Amino acid sequence: MTESRETSVVAPGFAVSWDGEQATGTRALQREQQLNRFLAGIERRALRIAEIAVRDRDDALDLVQEAMIKLARKYGGRPSEEWPPIFYRILQNGIRDWHRRQAVRRRFMGWLSRESRDADDRDMIAEAPDPAGRTPDLDLESAEAMDQLERAVSALPARQQEAFVLRTFEGLDVAGTAVAMGCSEGSVKTHYSRAIHALRATLEKP
Amino acid sequence: MNQSDDEFVRQAKTLFDASVDRLDAATLSTLNRGRHRALEASRTQAIDWLRWAPVTGVAVAALAAVLVMQPDPAALESTPASVTEMEILLGDESMEMLEDLEFYAFIDEFEADDDVG
Repeated sequence: MTESRETSVVAPGFAVSWDGEQATGTRALQREQQLNRFLAGIERRALRIAEIAVRDRDDALDLVQEAMIKLARKYGGRPSEEWPPIFYRILQNGIRDWHRRQAVRRRFMGWLSRESRDADDRDMIAEAPDPAGRTPDLDLESAEAMDQLERAVSALPARQQEAFVLRTFEGLDVAGTAVAMGCSEGSVKTHYSRAIHALRATLEKP
Repeated sequence: MNQSDDEFVRQAKTLFDASVDRLDAATLSTLNRGRHRALEASRTQAIDWLRWAPVTGVAVAALAAVLVMQPDPAALESTPASVTEMEILLGDESMEMLEDLEFYAFIDEFEADDDVG
């Protein structure tokens, strides 16, 4: 009689329970590996998307990390195909909260320091579309071209910006973008179309 | 979306992907640490859940027991003089009746024999 047979005869309940725990542990490990692969594949693009939205790398890193933790904690058990739109919904909510906090901070702190007002003014100009209408050099490897694109995207209204980055940069389909933005597919199409026309008008000025 | 829109989107995507590839090592390291913190957080939460699982199980079982033991109001109303089965089982008289069961059985048997006879 083998050892495993003895175990099942002497303590069948224990044997079944142990097998069950082992299977559960294996499933949990597989799930964690799957989640790790998903996050590893998405984190760099998510960071750049957040950075375009908030124009600050450290804040963008914080936002992405918060989104990863929330996804892992609350939605790690959901089917993996649902993760991309859920993750970006969490991230976009974080970005919106960040903008709200910044607006409040500017309102209450702006009068304290002339310097901070000047800094805000500089940010607004920096984020505005290029007033000189310089022809964008869409050299595919050019950081300068990307910087111009980023500034143009940053100048878009928030919802157009979300639709554009999720559809173009992240490659979500219309349905996934709608989930991430928390709106209808029709709204996504409208925001996306307006974003492209606005960006082309800004970046393709002769 | 027309062809030039498609081309614009393609170029924008290419620029974006190139900017992702240019991320420096320090940033990638920070992202990596953040990802592992997220995975650790999900693991800790699972352990917390497991820690509370036995307590939750006992609480659910207790609640279920209370609900099952709850007397049906309709049954109570239909019982004459609001006498419940529990009262019958636990009352002194019923214990006496149980002790006399043997006697009642004997009477039944006796009467049956008498009818036949």
